[in-house]
Amino acid sequence: MAILVNGETRVIVQGATGKQGQYHTLKLLEYGVRVVGGVTPGREGDRVHGVPVYDRVARAMARTSVDASMIVVPPFGVLAAARDAIENGVPLVVVITEFVPLHDALKIRGLARKSGARVIGPNTIGVISPGKSKVGIMPGFIYGEGSVGIISRSGTLTHEIASNLTYRGIGQSTCVCIGGDMVKGTDFSDLLELFRDDPETGTVILVGEIGGAGEELAARHLRERPYPKKVIAFIAGATAPPEKRMGHAGAMICAGFGTADSKIRSLREAGVTVVESLDELVARCR
Amino acid sequence: MKLYEYEGKTLLAGAGIAVPKGCVAATPAEAVAVAANLGYPVVLKSQVLRGGRGKAGGIRFAAGIDELLREAEALFALSIGSEKVEKLLIEERLISVREIYAGITLDSLTLLPQLLVSAAGGMDIEAAARTMPGKLHRLPLDPLNLPGPPQIAGLLRAAGLQGRDMSGVAGAVGDLIRAYFRYEAVTAEINPLIIDAQGRVIAADAKLEIDDSALGRVKEAASFVRTERSGDPLEAEAKAEDIAYVRMEEGNIGLVSGGAGLGMASMDMIVLHGGAPANFLDLGGNATEEKTAAALRIVLKTPGVEGVLLNLFGGINNCRSMAKGIVQVIDALHPPQTIVVKMRGHSQDEGWEILEDRGVPLVKFGTTEEAVVLLMAKLKEKGDRGSGHTG
Repeated sequence: MAILVNGETRVIVQGATGKQGQYHTLKLLEYGVRVVGGVTPGREGDRVHGVPVYDRVARAMARTSVDASMIVVPPFGVLAAARDAIENGVPLVVVITEFVPLHDALKIRGLARKSGARVIGPNTIGVISPGKSKVGIMPGFIYGEGSVGIISRSGTLTHEIASNLTYRGIGQSTCVCIGGDMVKGTDFSDLLELFRDDPETGTVILVGEIGGAGEELAARHLRERPYPKKVIAFIAGATAPPEKRMGHAGAMICAGFGTADSKIRSLREAGVTVVESLDELVARCR
Repeated sequence: MKLYEYEGKTLLAGAGIAVPKGCVAATPAEAVAVAANLGYPVVLKSQVLRGGRGKAGGIRFAAGIDELLREAEALFALSIGSEKVEKLLIEERLISVREIYAGITLDSLTLLPQLLVSAAGGMDIEAAARTMPGKLHRLPLDPLNLPGPPQIAGLLRAAGLQGRDMSGVAGAVGDLIRAYFRYEAVTAEINPLIIDAQGRVIAADAKLEIDDSALGRVKEAASFVRTERSGDPLEAEAKAEDIAYVRMEEGNIGLVSGGAGLGMASMDMIVLHGGAPANFLDLGGNATEEKTAAALRIVLKTPGVEGVLLNLFGGINNCRSMAKGIVQVIDALHPPQTIVVKMRGHSQDEGWEILEDRGVPLVKFGTTEEAVVLLMAKLKEKGDRGSGHTG
């Protein structure tokens, strides 16, 4: 089972002919992902590591069924690529690209809501169900198969926590990086719902950070309806200085809003175990 | 990018919103020339990016040339927060009969831009939102389905505006919405939007922030791109290398991190184990050998740094290049500071080998916390041996 992606997931890579696209298409293939096509306008007929390239998503879908798209085109091209995927009915669209303009992210979110597509990102390492498949750019070998679900705003913190668990014999069902930007397609609450019904997932880890309100909304979500699984959270950035942007566009404390304190308090009130250290996080998963 | 008031007003005027007559001045003499064109009385407004300018004495009035010169000289000598006043906006003095607040900002709950209007303009809107939320009227702005004139009129009526005032403000608010999307703003705020004795609706102030990721395609903002004058030379150096670097006061632990979230978590772990971060540094994607080396050099130059943690993942980057960058700096500088590297991911074996060959303390499978503990222990050991005998 797992959530979002599994061994059956058929993936296209939008931007597969670019440098990043070629590299990550190869990495997907090496991980055993069923990559059924690449999409780059004007490059139909080319192949990337044996994968056929199409002009448009619709052309790929005329040949084969597509369950997910990974978008690795440059920032100003993301809106058109995402629109192409969403309007042609690709159910899962993972936007890896960083520095997507805010107003494009707003439109992508709106398009996805209208059509029922699920967008992950932008500015994400993607999704992995270890041992099964991935739609993302994470090094697969530091992720191990198991029953912990991870939802994180940070790519490298997802690597950190998953690999800490993997090296200590604790595997993961699915790890989802929702992305570091303010406006994203999918938030903590949406994924908590997916993990709720996933029989393979026993414990869910929320990896939050300062800025935004996703963690507070997740807390409200958990309070509203009893959650059947253990939820553990870690919030990064408790020691970050206010009003400074900490690398992620979405990670900034403004006028006392979005602080680590507010997030930790909300989550604790919702019955979530909030840990203060990365080692404690591993210990709590045992 | 946050815009100065005079830049913001240029954009608003381009979107059809009336702004006061005026011009920017960089010296008292220029201020005199502008005022001569406008006619007295005039307003002198310090151009700074932070709020609270009025309370800090950054806005003055002048009825004649002597007063203008005196006030202009006083303002050019002023710093507001850490910002030195370098430009003044000299404007005609308007008499308002009514002040309105109109702003658009991203709502972090709905993740939609939200129009906020209050008929009690001119005040601190954040304070007003807390103390009298009922006076603040909100309308979500779905970019795929923007509200039309009837919805805007409804919002303004709810805010207590009627008749000619309402229709005038509705026009300006419609223009503000168009400006927000056209200029790809993160926030666009007019406080106050005034109605003068003739019933004209005029933006007396403008606070705009343009999305950094869109700057490359917002033509109207192209001329605003400023030379970065960060007071901190290390922050400027990092910016030139496309590295996100934030300096912290009185820290002793330098940090090079491959990722923003990991960097913040590393800082938290440093504090948890008795250290004080001297900086935040996110290498970002595409960490080549050169970029890794540049980052390490910047951190080693950060005052007060006794130990450095490099916490890296070969995801988009690969471990071999990053290890080569680290060794390059160690070989060139022989830094006296203690360095601990935690690194895994793509081509980790090659990366580890490069570091182990040079005897760089390395954490392979341990957590970030274990790496921090190792670094703190090494620093303590060094301290116990006494400084001066570390070679």
